[in-house]
Amino acid sequence: MGKLQEMPPASAIALQMGAKHYFDAVRALLDVFAPRKHLHSIYVTATIPSKSIISALEVLDVDLKRTHFVDCVSSMMMGFSEKDEGAVYVESPTMLENILLKVEFLIRKLDGADSVVIIDSINSLAIHNSLKILSEFLHILINHLRSRNAYTVIFAMEEYTTEEVENILSLVCDETVNFTG
Amino acid sequence: MKERISVDNNEKNMISSRSASRGVAQAVEASDRVRCLTGIDGLDNILNGGIPKGNTTLVTGTCGTGKTSLGLEFILHGAEEEEVGIFITATETSEKLMESMIPYDFFRPKLLKEGKVEFLSLHELYKTAGISGPEIDSKGAASLIKAVVAAVKKRKAKRLVMDSVTSVCARLSTEDRIREFITGLSHALAKEGCTAILISEVPAGSDIYSPYGVEEAVVDGVVLLGNLERRGDLLRTLQVVKMRGATHSRAKYVLDLTSCGVLLAPLLKGGG
Repeated sequence: MGKLQEMPPASAIALQMGAKHYFDAVRALLDVFAPRKHLHSIYVTATIPSKSIISALEVLDVDLKRTHFVDCVSSMMMGFSEKDEGAVYVESPTMLENILLKVEFLIRKLDGADSVVIIDSINSLAIHNSLKILSEFLHILINHLRSRNAYTVIFAMEEYTTEEVENILSLVCDETVNFTG
Repeated sequence: MKERISVDNNEKNMISSRSASRGVAQAVEASDRVRCLTGIDGLDNILNGGIPKGNTTLVTGTCGTGKTSLGLEFILHGAEEEEVGIFITATETSEKLMESMIPYDFFRPKLLKEGKVEFLSLHELYKTAGISGPEIDSKGAASLIKAVVAAVKKRKAKRLVMDSVTSVCARLSTEDRIREFITGLSHALAKEGCTAILISEVPAGSDIYSPYGVEEAVVDGVVLLGNLERRGDLLRTLQVVKMRGATHSRAKYVLDLTSCGVLLAPLLKGGG
């Protein structure tokens, strides 16, 4: 986490981790990194529903008042009806433009406040999208966030990260940080 | 904003005001023609600084693509910049349109109280123009133009939206009359320094810009709103097809209607 703290605003960071460190990494970002830098967090989840993340983090006593979710998985779930008022929903992780638009919407709602945008994860997005369109999406998103002086943190799960995904990350990110808990 | 944002993800037709980016402002300065900023950042960027002042633009698309929202946002942003705007409606009542503006983050009721935003019923304008029958002849079309221009002059309006021009065209019956009406209206509004948006409705599934095929030829600009199906996902899209007096992108963008305005993102090509 030390290396992450040293990164200046507008940086794009690939955060590589093993699956066993997933919640530690989420917690470290939302409970340590963001508060220390006085950032709002925009958490784009394509892995598990925002409600599940919120429940898990509430158990861990993580303050989520400054965390805002873009949930790309809940709408795909059969029987999904209950929505969290603090989340915006994208119907499917294939609607990458809508993810761009929802991130922009939340940034505008934050009215200029400093923020970090967390993409959870490139591996989940790669399940639903071709690597070409995924590269294009990340390229546009990161450049847009740089212009907004916002941090971008992209989760990459070691177990599922292929060479092609690694290449995309090295192309679009400034730094790869290995999270070991 | 200090706390978590409370958001209704099902929000529709919600719009916001934001000042144009520095890039847009520079483009305006560099432009030969004075521009009318729509206030929709993405669109102003596509147009390299907004719609040339006095232009008449056809905003066209099938139902549910965001035409009325875009028109309302154009009027409201103008009102914030002290430009009086008139919204002529044939499809919704003024009360319903006012109600639909309330969820917008930037909506301020005083704009209505101060007369910066005025809703006019097309049917009232028909009455003023002495039009009563189902068909409008050339004389009636000229009277309707006069009635619209009189309303603009009376309020010193600098922006006008007609929602929709299709309903007028349907009563004009011939292509020549439609051409005459839109050309006449466009010239008269330009003379008053009024920038106008004419909303056109096209049937679902069609690839035309207007139902009569005349409207797009005589206006200064065409903004096409549509739906794009990609692998089962339906995306709202926006494309500027033409805009006289402005260099502009002709690329397709994906559109979202939110409480802070019409937001636009580039359509991803995926190397295809």
